[in-house]
Amino acid sequence: MWRTAWAQALANRRSFVAQMAVMVVNDLVWIFFWQVFFRRVGSVRGWTVDDMMVLYAVLALAVGLVLGALANLRFLGPLVADGELDGALALPMDPLGFLALRQVSPVSVGDIAFGIGLFAVVGHPTPARTALFVAVTVAATAVLAGFLVVLGSLAFVSGTGGAGDLGLSAIIVFSSYPINIYGGALRLALFGLIPAAFVGSLPAQLVQHPSPGRALLLAGGVAAFGGAGWLSFRLGLRRYTSGATWTGV
Amino acid sequence: MTASPSASSPVQRAPGPAPAANAVIAVDDMRRTFTTGRRRRRRTIEAVRGITFTVARGERLAFIGPNGAGKSTSIKMLTGLLRPSAGSVRVLGLEPWSQRRALSRRIGTLFGQRSLLWPELPARTSLATLGAIHGLDRPGLGRRITELGELLEATELLDRPVRTLSLGQRMRCELAAALLHRPDLLFLDEPTIGLDLLAKQRFREVLVRLNTEHSTTVFLTSHDVADIEHVAERAVIVNHGTVIHDSPVASLRRTLLTTKRIEVGLARAQTVADVRAALGPDIGPVMALGDRPADDGMPVDGIAIGVDTRRQAIGAVLDRVLRHLAVADVSVADPPLEAVIGEIYTRPAATAPAVVQSLRDGPS
Ligand SMILES: Nc1ncnc2c1ncn2[C@@H]1O[C@H](COP(=O)(O)OP(=O)(O)OP(=O)(O)O)[C@@H](O)[C@H]1O
Ligand SMILES: [Mg+2]
Repeated sequence: MWRTAWAQALANRRSFVAQMAVMVVNDLVWIFFWQVFFRRVGSVRGWTVDDMMVLYAVLALAVGLVLGALANLRFLGPLVADGELDGALALPMDPLGFLALRQVSPVSVGDIAFGIGLFAVVGHPTPARTALFVAVTVAATAVLAGFLVVLGSLAFVSGTGGAGDLGLSAIIVFSSYPINIYGGALRLALFGLIPAAFVGSLPAQLVQHPSPGRALLLAGGVAAFGGAGWLSFRLGLRRYTSGATWTGV
Repeated sequence: MTASPSASSPVQRAPGPAPAANAVIAVDDMRRTFTTGRRRRRRTIEAVRGITFTVARGERLAFIGPNGAGKSTSIKMLTGLLRPSAGSVRVLGLEPWSQRRALSRRIGTLFGQRSLLWPELPARTSLATLGAIHGLDRPGLGRRITELGELLEATELLDRPVRTLSLGQRMRCELAAALLHRPDLLFLDEPTIGLDLLAKQRFREVLVRLNTEHSTTVFLTSHDVADIEHVAERAVIVNHGTVIHDSPVASLRRTLLTTKRIEVGLARAQTVADVRAALGPDIGPVMALGDRPADDGMPVDGIAIGVDTRRQAIGAVLDRVLRHLAVADVSVADPPLEAVIGEIYTRPAATAPAVVQSLRDGPS
């Protein structure tokens, strides 16, 4: 299945290299910006340039993994709204798994390579830090995937599937900055509503300044958003098979 | 109606009288209502209002009805994609909505224009992947794909990217996907829709062959009368969510599908009266083609002739047409479904008052 999805994606090779290049250039511009910025100001609310680089590595890797390996999660809403689910439901396989694995986006390999490269170059990789980095990246990926499934499952109720892309843009923007720059209610929202904190800042902090409290918080985030994703799809599917989702087909 | 029938738990009836031992589908008073809109604009649609039938192993059944008749809704309930609001449904002894996974291992489904194949890849690759999902082992799967390629006359299609196939070719590949796991029972929702005449014909032949050679039970929906004639042995005609006719096609042919329509493009414009005179007095009804008002005495360049096949052989009428008219173009068509349904309602014996009522009240 995985291999088939890859072959499907690679069939359009022409645009592939160009897109990937754009993506990497885009990432490099960000890095350049932060390097210059921190050289001027030194640190922002306790965040140093190193913290920022680790944040960016985790984020790039998590986004790359979700959008690359599970490319359809982002389009779950439209897939549900267009009735694509019917085909998946006719197979003896978990429909969410089928849809998620059906499509990969090799362009995101750019992000994945970038995330790994960044950590290798400026992340001071010791064995311990590397292990920690891998662990928090897996956690960030799970939170992001869960979040996208929740958004996609909204289509079971609304019958339209625009929430996924919107939410994705939002979470990427919010997780690209240190959590400490956000105050009060917004900061809470970034833990509870749009889990940007679990995808960027918290994993980075955990690598830079490991603490049981942070680890526990991240694990909680994974459980909460992973669970929310699983549950919302389950409930949505129930709604779908009970005919309450109007797909117009 | 309750505010939200879909949310409440459906009333499951006790299973009715035990169906015949070889029944693969047993449906008893299957119903489905939908509610749409919010608050004040809330509306309840009775898409399926009490359908009962059984299907024996090896049957070829066409589930025919006009748009909105409830065909897709019914087939979704039979395949477990939709839970009935009421009534009992058994397919291969399973309750589809609660045992969907188990059922999916034993039935094949093909839903209109939905695709399970990866568009950029040759169908063969997709089939191998889907086969793996079905848990088929690798050598067996390879043999099965070859076998299906031959059966569906699609061997050379399997190696071209699905995106580059015509709709008819793609549908045959989709059918291969539905048949990978050798299902006993095949459900198809409007499989011939959008296909050109030749592709339709080929697809129908494949279905018949599948049924006769592999005794696969075929259940298809359509709003094309020709699907009754060329695929099915039994026709169930539904309208506004109820079955209004259920009989073997052979008997249907004697009672309802008794007319054909010959459409003739004329090389020289003629009046309808002249055409009638040229063809002789015992010819069926002759009308101008297109939306011309009936017989205004002006010459027309296309006519349609109704033929009652119980009284006249189609060939004989065609013969006369070719001999006496300057023909530019000619085709023979089945009567439109609406005409057949109209016929069912006007035939006195078959029409229960309740059915007529539902026709009047039905959603349009
Ligand atoms: N999920 C849904 N929510 C609300 N109404 C629905 C839903 N699904 C179907 N309907 C309605 O139920 C009725 C029957 O629809 P169905 O799709 O079963 O018809 P059909 O016989 O398949 O028609 P067609 O030939 O157009 O495919 C229609 O009025 C349709 O609008
Ligand atoms: Mg339909």
